Amino acid sequence: MVLRFADTSVGYHGVAVLTHVDLSLEAGQCLALAGPNGAGKSTLIKAVLGLTEVLAGTAEVFGRTPARSREQCGYVPQVGDLDPDFPVTAAQVVLMGRYRRIGWWRPTRATDRRAVTEALDRVGLADEAGRRFGLLSGGQRQRVLLARALAAEPELLLLDEPFNGVDVVSQEAILSVLRELTRSGTALLLSTHDLALARDVADLVCLINGRQWAFGPPGEVLTADQLRSAYGGHAIDLADGRTVLVEP
Amino acid sequence: MSWWDDALHRAIAEVILAGALAGLIGVQVVVRRLSFFTMALTHATFPGVVAASLIGVNVFAGGIVAGAVVALGVAALSRRQGQNAAAATGVVLSAGFALGAGLIATQSGFSRDLSALLVGSILTVNNQDILITAAMLVAVAALLAVCARPLTFAGFDPGGARAAGLAVGAWDVVLLLTVEAVVVTIVPAVGTILAVALIVAPAAAARLWSTRLPVITALAVSFAVASGLGGLYASYIWNVAAGASIALTATLLLAVSSLLARPAASLLTASRPREGTA
Repeated sequence: MVLRFADTSVGYHGVAVLTHVDLSLEAGQCLALAGPNGAGKSTLIKAVLGLTEVLAGTAEVFGRTPARSREQCGYVPQVGDLDPDFPVTAAQVVLMGRYRRIGWWRPTRATDRRAVTEALDRVGLADEAGRRFGLLSGGQRQRVLLARALAAEPELLLLDEPFNGVDVVSQEAILSVLRELTRSGTALLLSTHDLALARDVADLVCLINGRQWAFGPPGEVLTADQLRSAYGGHAIDLADGRTVLVEP
Repeated sequence: MSWWDDALHRAIAEVILAGALAGLIGVQVVVRRLSFFTMALTHATFPGVVAASLIGVNVFAGGIVAGAVVALGVAALSRRQGQNAAAATGVVLSAGFALGAGLIATQSGFSRDLSALLVGSILTVNNQDILITAAMLVAVAALLAVCARPLTFAGFDPGGARAAGLAVGAWDVVLLLTVEAVVVTIVPAVGTILAVALIVAPAAAARLWSTRLPVITALAVSFAVASGLGGLYASYIWNVAAGASIALTATLLLAVSSLLARPAASLLTASRPREGTA
Protein backbone atom coordinates (compact mmCIF):
# COMPACT_ATOMS: atom_id res chain seq x y z
CA MET A 1 0.00 0.00 0.00
CA VAL A 2 1.51 3.32 -1.09
CA LEU A 3 -1.03 5.68 0.50
CA ARG A 4 -3.61 5.17 3.22
CA PHE A 5 -5.60 8.09 4.59
CA ALA A 6 -8.40 7.25 7.03
CA ASP A 7 -10.80 10.03 8.11
CA THR A 8 -7.87 12.43 7.93
CA SER A 9 -8.00 16.19 8.49
CA VAL A 10 -5.04 18.29 7.35
CA GLY A 11 -4.23 21.98 7.65
CA TYR A 12 -1.86 24.64 8.89
CA HIS A 13 -1.30 26.04 12.37
CA GLY A 14 -4.10 23.91 13.82
CA VAL A 15 -6.70 25.14 11.30
CA ALA A 16 -8.14 22.40 9.06
CA VAL A 17 -8.12 23.10 5.30
CA LEU A 18 -9.37 19.68 4.23
CA THR A 19 -11.35 17.15 6.28
CA HIS A 20 -12.71 13.60 6.07
CA VAL A 21 -10.13 12.27 3.62
CA ASP A 22 -10.48 8.52 3.08
CA LEU A 23 -8.37 7.14 0.28
CA SER A 24 -5.85 4.50 -0.63
CA LEU A 25 -3.40 4.06 -3.49
CA GLU A 26 -1.46 1.00 -4.67
CA ALA A 27 1.77 0.81 -6.66
CA GLY A 28 1.22 1.38 -10.38
CA GLN A 29 -2.06 3.27 -9.87
CA CYS A 30 -2.82 6.87 -10.80
CA LEU A 31 -5.00 8.90 -8.43
CA ALA A 32 -6.38 12.27 -9.57
CA LEU A 33 -7.34 14.90 -7.03
CA ALA A 34 -10.21 16.87 -8.53
CA GLY A 35 -11.94 19.94 -7.18
CA PRO A 36 -12.29 23.68 -7.72
CA ASN A 37 -9.57 26.22 -6.96
CA GLY A 38 -8.98 26.50 -3.23
CA ALA A 39 -10.46 23.04 -2.61
CA GLY A 40 -7.34 21.87 -0.75
CA LYS A 41 -5.63 19.92 -3.55
CA SER A 42 -2.16 21.38 -2.92
CA THR A 43 -2.68 20.99 0.82
CA LEU A 44 -3.36 17.28 0.41
CA ILE A 45 -0.23 16.85 -1.74
CA LYS A 46 1.82 18.66 0.93
CA ALA A 47 0.24 16.40 3.55
CA VAL A 48 1.59 13.36 1.68
CA LEU A 49 5.04 15.00 1.83
CA GLY A 50 4.64 15.64 5.55
CA LEU A 51 4.65 19.42 5.06
CA THR A 52 1.22 20.07 6.56
CA GLU A 53 -0.18 19.07 9.92
CA VAL A 54 -2.33 15.97 10.25
CA LEU A 55 -5.00 17.24 12.67
CA ALA A 56 -7.16 14.12 12.90
CA GLY A 57 -7.31 10.57 11.59
CA THR A 58 -4.40 8.61 10.11
CA ALA A 59 -2.09 9.39 7.21
CA GLU A 60 0.32 6.70 6.09
CA VAL A 61 2.76 6.82 3.19
CA PHE A 62 4.49 3.51 2.50
CA GLY A 63 3.21 2.38 5.90
CA ARG A 64 5.00 5.14 7.79
CA THR A 65 4.29 8.73 8.77
CA PRO A 66 4.47 11.05 5.71
CA ALA A 67 7.62 12.93 6.77
CA ARG A 68 9.55 9.65 7.15
CA SER A 69 8.71 8.49 3.62
CA ARG A 70 9.76 11.66 1.84
CA GLU A 71 12.78 9.97 0.25
CA GLN A 72 10.51 7.66 -1.77
CA CYS A 73 8.40 10.56 -3.05
CA GLY A 74 9.03 12.82 -6.02
CA TYR A 75 7.33 16.20 -6.23
CA VAL A 76 6.52 18.34 -9.26
CA PRO A 77 5.49 21.83 -8.11
CA GLN A 78 3.33 24.27 -10.07
CA VAL A 79 5.42 26.04 -12.70
CA GLY A 80 3.85 29.38 -11.83
CA ASP A 81 5.38 29.25 -8.34
CA LEU A 82 8.93 29.45 -9.72
CA ASP A 83 10.91 32.59 -10.52
CA PRO A 84 11.56 32.63 -14.32
CA ASP A 85 14.39 35.14 -13.84
CA PHE A 86 16.44 32.81 -11.64
CA PRO A 87 19.70 32.01 -13.45
CA VAL A 88 19.57 28.19 -13.72
CA THR A 89 19.67 26.00 -16.81
CA ALA A 90 17.26 23.13 -17.52
CA ALA A 91 20.03 20.61 -16.74
CA GLN A 92 20.81 22.32 -13.41
CA VAL A 93 17.14 22.14 -12.44
CA VAL A 94 17.05 18.41 -13.24
CA LEU A 95 20.28 17.88 -11.28
CA MET A 96 18.46 19.25 -8.19
CA GLY A 97 16.46 16.02 -8.28
CA ARG A 98 19.70 14.12 -7.67
CA TYR A 99 20.93 16.25 -4.75
CA ARG A 100 19.46 14.03 -2.07
CA ARG A 101 20.96 10.94 -3.71
CA ILE A 102 24.38 12.58 -4.26
CA GLY A 103 24.38 14.24 -0.87
CA TRP A 104 24.21 18.01 -0.52
CA TRP A 105 27.97 18.40 -0.18
CA ARG A 106 29.51 15.73 -2.43
CA PRO A 107 30.57 16.41 -6.03
CA THR A 108 28.39 15.35 -8.96
CA ARG A 109 29.30 11.90 -10.35
CA ALA A 110 29.14 10.63 -13.91
CA THR A 111 26.07 8.51 -13.03
CA ASP A 112 24.24 11.65 -11.90
CA ARG A 113 25.06 13.48 -15.11
CA ARG A 114 23.85 10.46 -17.07
CA ALA A 115 20.62 10.39 -15.03
CA VAL A 116 20.05 14.08 -15.86
CA THR A 117 20.53 13.50 -19.59
CA GLU A 118 18.27 10.44 -19.54
CA ALA A 119 15.53 12.28 -17.63
CA LEU A 120 15.61 15.22 -20.05
CA ASP A 121 15.56 12.75 -22.94
CA ARG A 122 12.46 11.02 -21.52
CA VAL A 123 10.50 14.28 -21.55
CA GLY A 124 11.83 15.14 -25.02
CA LEU A 125 14.02 18.07 -23.98
CA ALA A 126 17.55 16.67 -24.37
CA ASP A 127 18.38 19.51 -26.78
CA GLU A 128 17.40 22.20 -24.28
CA ALA A 129 19.71 21.07 -21.45
CA GLY A 130 21.83 24.23 -21.58
CA ARG A 131 18.94 26.67 -21.95
CA ARG A 132 17.93 28.90 -19.07
CA PHE A 133 14.84 27.53 -17.34
CA GLY A 134 13.00 30.85 -17.57
CA LEU A 135 13.46 31.05 -21.36
CA LEU A 136 11.57 27.79 -21.96
CA SER A 137 7.82 27.75 -22.67
CA GLY A 138 5.40 26.97 -19.84
CA GLY A 139 4.94 23.42 -21.08
CA GLN A 140 8.68 22.88 -21.43
CA ARG A 141 9.26 24.17 -17.90
CA GLN A 142 6.67 21.71 -16.64
CA ARG A 143 8.50 18.91 -18.48
CA VAL A 144 11.83 19.99 -16.95
CA LEU A 145 10.25 19.77 -13.49
CA LEU A 146 8.90 16.32 -14.37
CA ALA A 147 12.41 15.32 -15.52
CA ARG A 148 13.77 16.55 -12.17
CA ALA A 149 11.34 14.29 -10.35
CA LEU A 150 12.25 11.37 -12.65
CA ALA A 151 15.95 11.87 -11.92
CA ALA A 152 15.20 11.17 -8.25
CA GLU A 153 13.66 7.79 -9.22
CA PRO A 154 10.65 8.03 -6.88
CA GLU A 155 8.19 5.24 -6.01
CA LEU A 156 5.38 7.77 -5.57
CA LEU A 157 5.23 10.83 -7.78
CA LEU A 158 3.16 13.85 -6.72
CA LEU A 159 2.22 16.41 -9.37
CA ASP A 160 0.52 19.71 -8.54
CA GLU A 161 -1.62 20.82 -11.54
CA PRO A 162 0.83 19.39 -14.12
CA PHE A 163 -1.34 20.43 -17.08
CA ASN A 164 -1.96 24.05 -16.11
CA GLY A 165 -1.02 26.39 -18.96
CA VAL A 166 0.61 23.55 -20.88
CA ASP A 167 0.49 23.31 -24.69
CA VAL A 168 -0.76 20.18 -26.47
CA VAL A 169 2.74 18.91 -27.36
CA SER A 170 3.90 19.16 -23.75
CA GLN A 171 0.68 17.63 -22.44
CA GLU A 172 1.15 14.60 -24.71
CA ALA A 173 4.81 14.28 -23.66
CA ILE A 174 3.84 14.44 -19.97
CA LEU A 175 0.96 11.97 -20.40
CA SER A 176 3.17 9.43 -22.17
CA VAL A 177 5.79 9.62 -19.39
CA LEU A 178 3.07 9.21 -16.75
CA ARG A 179 1.75 6.11 -18.54
CA GLU A 180 5.27 4.62 -18.66
CA LEU A 181 5.65 5.30 -14.95
CA THR A 182 2.45 3.55 -13.88
CA ARG A 183 3.35 0.61 -16.14
CA SER A 184 6.68 0.27 -14.33
CA GLY A 185 4.94 0.28 -10.95
CA THR A 186 5.29 3.91 -9.86
CA ALA A 187 2.26 5.31 -8.03
CA LEU A 188 0.99 8.71 -9.16
CA LEU A 189 -0.98 11.38 -7.34
CA LEU A 190 -1.86 14.41 -9.42
CA SER A 191 -4.13 17.35 -8.83
CA THR A 192 -6.16 18.86 -11.64
CA HIS A 193 -9.27 20.91 -12.17
CA ASP A 194 -9.62 19.41 -15.68
CA LEU A 195 -12.26 16.74 -15.10
CA ALA A 196 -12.10 15.32 -18.64
CA LEU A 197 -8.37 14.77 -18.19
CA ALA A 198 -8.89 13.20 -14.76
CA ARG A 199 -11.36 10.78 -16.35
CA ASP A 200 -8.85 9.86 -19.08
CA VAL A 201 -5.65 9.40 -17.09
CA ALA A 202 -6.67 8.27 -13.62
CA ASP A 203 -7.52 4.84 -12.21
CA LEU A 204 -8.99 6.54 -9.16
CA VAL A 205 -10.42 9.99 -8.55
CA CYS A 206 -10.75 11.79 -5.25
CA LEU A 207 -13.25 14.65 -5.40
CA ILE A 208 -12.58 17.32 -2.78
CA ASN A 209 -13.72 20.77 -1.82
CA GLY A 210 -12.87 21.57 1.80
CA ARG A 211 -13.72 17.93 2.55
CA GLN A 212 -13.69 14.73 0.58
CA TRP A 213 -16.92 14.27 -1.39
CA ALA A 214 -16.18 11.05 -3.25
CA PHE A 215 -13.40 8.55 -3.90
CA GLY A 216 -13.31 5.69 -6.40
CA PRO A 217 -13.03 4.89 -10.12
CA PRO A 218 -13.67 7.92 -12.41
CA GLY A 219 -16.99 6.49 -13.67
CA GLU A 220 -18.38 6.38 -10.13
CA VAL A 221 -16.97 9.65 -8.85
CA LEU A 222 -17.33 12.05 -11.76
CA THR A 223 -21.11 11.90 -11.93
CA ALA A 224 -23.43 14.89 -12.05
CA ASP A 225 -24.73 14.26 -8.53
CA GLN A 226 -21.29 14.02 -6.98
CA LEU A 227 -20.00 17.06 -8.88
CA ARG A 228 -23.06 19.08 -7.95
CA SER A 229 -22.50 18.41 -4.27
CA ALA A 230 -18.77 19.20 -4.45
CA TYR A 231 -18.98 22.25 -6.69
CA GLY A 232 -22.30 23.56 -5.42
CA GLY A 233 -24.92 23.09 -8.13
CA HIS A 234 -23.03 23.91 -11.29
CA ALA A 235 -22.94 20.50 -13.00
CA ILE A 236 -25.05 19.54 -15.98
CA ASP A 237 -25.48 16.05 -17.49
CA LEU A 238 -25.00 15.76 -21.23
CA ALA A 239 -26.86 13.24 -23.36
CA ASP A 240 -23.68 11.25 -24.11
CA GLY A 241 -23.27 10.35 -20.43
CA ARG A 242 -20.63 12.98 -19.75
CA THR A 243 -20.94 15.80 -17.28
CA VAL A 244 -19.89 19.40 -17.71
CA LEU A 245 -19.35 22.04 -15.09
CA VAL A 246 -20.60 25.56 -15.49
CA GLU A 247 -18.36 27.86 -13.47
CA PRO A 248 -20.50 30.18 -11.30
CA MET B 1 57.93 53.30 6.31
CA SER B 2 56.15 50.24 4.96
CA TRP B 3 53.63 50.15 2.09
CA TRP B 4 50.79 49.77 4.59
CA ASP B 5 51.60 53.02 6.37
CA ASP B 6 50.23 55.08 3.48
CA ALA B 7 46.49 55.81 3.95
CA LEU B 8 45.88 55.67 0.20
CA HIS B 9 47.54 52.25 -0.06
CA ARG B 10 45.40 50.94 2.79
CA ALA B 11 42.34 52.41 1.07
CA ILE B 12 43.23 50.60 -2.17
CA ALA B 13 43.58 47.27 -0.34
CA GLU B 14 40.29 47.80 1.51
CA VAL B 15 38.39 48.83 -1.60
CA ILE B 16 39.54 45.71 -3.51
CA LEU B 17 38.57 43.39 -0.63
CA ALA B 18 35.27 45.17 0.12
CA GLY B 19 34.40 45.29 -3.59
CA ALA B 20 34.98 41.55 -4.00
CA LEU B 21 32.93 40.85 -0.89
CA ALA B 22 30.06 43.13 -1.99
CA GLY B 23 30.02 41.69 -5.52
CA LEU B 24 29.99 38.13 -4.20
CA ILE B 25 27.05 38.58 -1.84
CA GLY B 26 25.38 41.03 -4.25
CA VAL B 27 24.65 38.21 -6.71
CA GLN B 28 22.69 36.35 -4.01
CA VAL B 29 20.92 39.59 -3.05
CA VAL B 30 19.86 40.38 -6.63
CA VAL B 31 18.96 36.82 -7.64
CA ARG B 32 16.89 36.33 -4.46
CA ARG B 33 15.31 39.80 -4.74
CA LEU B 34 16.71 40.91 -1.40
CA SER B 35 17.75 44.42 -2.51
CA PHE B 36 15.11 46.13 -0.42
CA PHE B 37 15.97 43.95 2.58
CA THR B 38 19.62 44.93 2.17
CA MET B 39 18.59 48.58 2.06
CA ALA B 40 16.66 48.14 5.31
CA LEU B 41 19.60 46.31 6.82
CA THR B 42 22.05 49.13 6.11
CA HIS B 43 19.69 51.59 7.79
CA ALA B 44 18.86 49.34 10.69
CA THR B 45 22.52 48.66 11.53
CA PHE B 46 22.89 52.43 11.86
CA PRO B 47 21.37 52.72 15.40
CA GLY B 48 23.49 49.73 16.46
CA VAL B 49 26.62 51.43 15.21
CA VAL B 50 25.67 54.73 16.89
CA ALA B 51 24.78 53.04 20.17
CA ALA B 52 28.07 51.15 20.10
CA SER B 53 30.10 54.31 19.63
CA LEU B 54 28.08 56.07 22.36
CA ILE B 55 28.76 53.39 24.94
CA GLY B 56 32.30 52.98 23.66
CA VAL B 57 32.29 49.40 22.35
CA ASN B 58 33.40 48.17 18.92
CA VAL B 59 31.08 49.51 16.16
CA PHE B 60 31.27 46.11 14.43
CA ALA B 61 29.68 44.50 17.45
CA GLY B 62 26.91 47.12 17.51
CA GLY B 63 26.17 46.72 13.82
CA ILE B 64 26.23 42.91 13.98
CA VAL B 65 23.77 42.81 16.89
CA ALA B 66 21.36 45.36 15.37
CA GLY B 67 21.54 43.72 11.93
CA ALA B 68 21.00 40.23 13.34
CA VAL B 69 17.83 41.43 15.08
CA VAL B 70 16.57 42.85 11.77
CA ALA B 71 17.56 39.78 9.72
CA LEU B 72 15.81 37.40 12.12
CA GLY B 73 12.82 39.74 12.39
CA VAL B 74 12.38 39.93 8.61
CA ALA B 75 12.83 36.15 8.31
CA ALA B 76 10.14 35.59 10.94
CA LEU B 77 7.75 38.13 9.36
CA SER B 78 8.13 36.80 5.84
CA ARG B 79 7.32 33.26 7.00
CA ARG B 80 3.90 34.33 8.29
CA GLN B 81 1.24 33.76 5.68
CA GLY B 82 -0.43 36.88 4.36
CA GLN B 83 2.11 39.15 6.01
CA ASN B 84 3.42 41.80 3.65
CA ALA B 85 7.19 41.41 4.01
CA ALA B 86 7.91 44.53 1.94
CA ALA B 87 5.77 46.70 4.22
CA ALA B 88 7.42 45.21 7.32
CA THR B 89 10.86 45.77 5.80
CA GLY B 90 9.98 49.38 5.00
CA VAL B 91 8.86 50.02 8.57
CA VAL B 92 12.07 48.45 9.91
CA LEU B 93 14.10 50.66 7.55
CA SER B 94 12.62 53.96 8.68
CA ALA B 95 12.39 52.94 12.35
CA GLY B 96 16.05 51.92 12.39
CA PHE B 97 17.16 55.14 10.79
CA ALA B 98 14.99 57.22 13.14
CA LEU B 99 16.36 55.36 16.15
CA GLY B 100 19.92 56.08 15.02
CA ALA B 101 19.15 59.76 14.45
CA GLY B 102 17.41 59.94 17.84
CA LEU B 103 20.39 58.37 19.59
CA ILE B 104 22.71 60.89 17.96
CA ALA B 105 20.51 63.81 19.02
CA THR B 106 21.01 62.81 22.66
CA GLN B 107 24.71 63.52 22.30
CA SER B 108 26.31 66.82 21.35
CA GLY B 109 29.51 66.89 19.32
CA PHE B 110 28.77 63.65 17.46
CA SER B 111 28.03 65.12 14.04
CA ARG B 112 31.46 64.63 12.46
CA ASP B 113 31.49 60.90 13.22
CA LEU B 114 27.93 60.65 11.95
CA SER B 115 28.83 61.61 8.41
CA ALA B 116 31.70 59.11 8.53
CA LEU B 117 29.21 56.40 9.48
CA LEU B 118 26.80 57.38 6.73
CA VAL B 119 29.15 57.73 3.76
CA GLY B 120 32.19 55.89 5.12
CA SER B 121 35.76 57.03 5.48
CA ILE B 122 37.87 54.81 3.30
CA LEU B 123 41.01 56.90 3.82
CA THR B 124 40.94 56.26 7.57
CA VAL B 125 40.62 52.45 7.48
CA ASN B 126 43.18 50.80 9.70
CA ASN B 127 44.94 47.46 9.41
CA GLN B 128 42.33 45.83 11.62
CA ASP B 129 39.51 46.87 9.24
CA ILE B 130 41.45 45.40 6.31
CA LEU B 131 42.08 42.14 8.14
CA ILE B 132 38.42 41.81 9.10
CA THR B 133 37.34 42.45 5.49
CA ALA B 134 39.85 39.88 4.18
CA ALA B 135 38.72 37.27 6.71
CA MET B 136 35.07 37.92 5.86
CA LEU B 137 35.82 37.63 2.13
CA VAL B 138 37.38 34.20 2.65
CA ALA B 139 34.53 33.08 4.92
CA VAL B 140 31.72 34.26 2.61
CA ALA B 141 33.40 32.84 -0.53
CA ALA B 142 33.82 29.48 1.23
CA LEU B 143 30.23 29.50 2.50
CA LEU B 144 28.77 30.32 -0.92
CA ALA B 145 30.91 27.68 -2.62
CA VAL B 146 30.23 24.91 -0.11
CA CYS B 147 26.51 25.67 0.31
CA ALA B 148 25.80 26.45 -3.36
CA ARG B 149 23.38 23.52 -3.76
CA PRO B 150 21.05 24.15 -0.83
CA LEU B 151 21.15 27.94 -1.36
CA THR B 152 20.31 27.65 -5.06
CA PHE B 153 17.60 25.02 -4.58
CA ALA B 154 15.96 26.93 -1.70
CA GLY B 155 16.12 30.18 -3.68
CA PHE B 156 14.80 28.82 -6.96
CA ASP B 157 12.11 26.47 -5.68
CA PRO B 158 11.39 26.65 -1.93
CA GLY B 159 8.43 24.23 -2.20
CA GLY B 160 10.43 21.64 -4.12
CA ALA B 161 13.40 22.06 -1.80
CA ARG B 162 11.19 21.48 1.24
CA ALA B 163 9.78 18.36 -0.42
CA ALA B 164 13.37 17.18 -0.98
CA GLY B 165 13.98 17.41 2.76
CA LEU B 166 15.77 20.77 2.88
CA ALA B 167 15.24 23.10 5.86
CA VAL B 168 14.41 26.09 3.64
CA GLY B 169 13.68 28.48 6.52
CA ALA B 170 17.06 27.78 8.12
CA TRP B 171 18.87 28.39 4.81
CA ASP B 172 17.02 31.69 4.36
CA VAL B 173 18.27 32.76 7.77
CA VAL B 174 21.83 31.69 6.87
CA LEU B 175 21.68 33.86 3.74
CA LEU B 176 20.13 36.89 5.51
CA LEU B 177 22.75 36.72 8.27
CA THR B 178 25.54 36.46 5.68
CA VAL B 179 24.23 39.57 3.90
CA GLU B 180 24.09 41.28 7.28
CA ALA B 181 27.68 40.32 8.12
CA VAL B 182 28.86 41.71 4.76
CA VAL B 183 26.95 44.96 5.29
CA VAL B 184 28.55 45.48 8.68
CA THR B 185 31.99 44.62 7.32
CA ILE B 186 31.98 47.11 4.46
CA VAL B 187 30.42 49.96 6.47
CA PRO B 188 33.82 51.43 7.47
CA ALA B 189 34.74 51.66 3.79
CA VAL B 190 31.62 53.04 2.13
CA GLY B 191 29.26 53.81 5.03
CA THR B 192 25.84 52.46 5.96
CA ILE B 193 23.94 54.26 3.19
CA LEU B 194 26.25 53.54 0.29
CA ALA B 195 27.01 49.92 1.19
CA VAL B 196 23.79 48.93 -0.53
CA ALA B 197 24.92 50.58 -3.78
CA LEU B 198 28.16 48.59 -3.80
CA ILE B 199 26.25 45.35 -3.11
CA VAL B 200 23.30 45.73 -5.47
CA ALA B 201 24.52 47.81 -8.44
CA PRO B 202 27.49 45.65 -9.61
CA ALA B 203 25.46 42.43 -9.28
CA ALA B 204 22.47 43.97 -11.07
CA ALA B 205 24.82 45.11 -13.85
CA ALA B 206 26.49 41.68 -14.06
CA ARG B 207 23.11 40.00 -14.41
CA LEU B 208 22.42 41.94 -17.57
CA TRP B 209 25.46 40.37 -19.24
CA SER B 210 24.88 36.69 -18.47
CA THR B 211 22.30 34.14 -17.35
CA ARG B 212 24.81 31.79 -15.71
CA LEU B 213 25.46 32.09 -11.99
CA PRO B 214 29.26 31.52 -12.10
CA VAL B 215 29.68 34.11 -14.90
CA ILE B 216 27.38 36.59 -13.13
CA THR B 217 29.37 36.14 -9.92
CA ALA B 218 32.74 36.69 -11.62
CA LEU B 219 31.42 39.79 -13.41
CA ALA B 220 29.80 41.20 -10.25
CA VAL B 221 33.06 40.87 -8.32
CA SER B 222 34.97 42.55 -11.17
CA PHE B 223 32.43 45.36 -11.47
CA ALA B 224 32.40 45.99 -7.70
CA VAL B 225 36.22 46.05 -7.46
CA ALA B 226 36.33 48.35 -10.53
CA SER B 227 33.73 50.64 -8.91
CA GLY B 228 35.80 50.75 -5.74
CA LEU B 229 39.07 51.55 -7.51
CA GLY B 230 37.44 53.95 -10.00
CA GLY B 231 35.57 55.74 -7.23
CA LEU B 232 38.70 55.99 -5.13
CA TYR B 233 40.63 57.44 -8.08
CA ALA B 234 37.86 59.97 -8.80
CA SER B 235 37.79 60.91 -5.13
CA TYR B 236 41.60 61.42 -5.16
CA ILE B 237 41.59 63.48 -8.38
CA TRP B 238 38.55 65.68 -7.71
CA ASN B 239 38.70 65.64 -3.93
CA VAL B 240 35.14 64.36 -3.38
CA ALA B 241 33.95 61.95 -0.65
CA ALA B 242 35.21 58.47 -1.53
CA GLY B 243 32.02 56.66 -0.44
CA ALA B 244 29.90 58.84 -2.70
CA SER B 245 32.19 58.53 -5.73
CA ILE B 246 32.38 54.72 -5.29
CA ALA B 247 28.59 54.43 -5.20
CA LEU B 248 28.25 56.73 -8.21
CA THR B 249 30.82 54.70 -10.18
CA ALA B 250 28.85 51.53 -9.42
CA THR B 251 25.65 53.23 -10.57
CA LEU B 252 27.36 54.43 -13.75
CA LEU B 253 28.48 50.84 -14.50
CA LEU B 254 24.88 49.67 -14.09
CA ALA B 255 23.59 52.43 -16.40
CA VAL B 256 26.20 51.60 -19.08
CA SER B 257 25.43 47.87 -18.75
CA SER B 258 21.71 48.38 -19.19
CA LEU B 259 22.40 50.39 -22.36
CA LEU B 260 24.93 47.97 -23.86
CA ALA B 261 24.20 44.47 -22.55
CA ARG B 262 21.01 43.72 -24.48
CA PRO B 263 22.27 44.88 -27.91
CA ALA B 264 25.53 43.00 -27.31
CA ALA B 265 23.64 39.82 -26.33
CA SER B 266 21.39 39.96 -29.40
CA LEU B 267 24.45 40.49 -31.62
CA LEU B 268 26.07 37.40 -30.09
CA THR B 269 23.02 35.20 -30.57
CA ALA B 270 22.54 36.50 -34.12
CA SER B 271 26.10 35.61 -35.11
CA ARG B 272 25.85 32.17 -33.51
CA PRO B 273 22.62 30.42 -34.56
CA ARG B 274 21.45 27.59 -32.35
CA GLU B 275 21.91 24.07 -33.62
CA GLY B 276 18.90 22.31 -35.03
CA THR B 277 17.20 25.51 -36.10
CA ALA B 278 17.20 27.37 -39.42
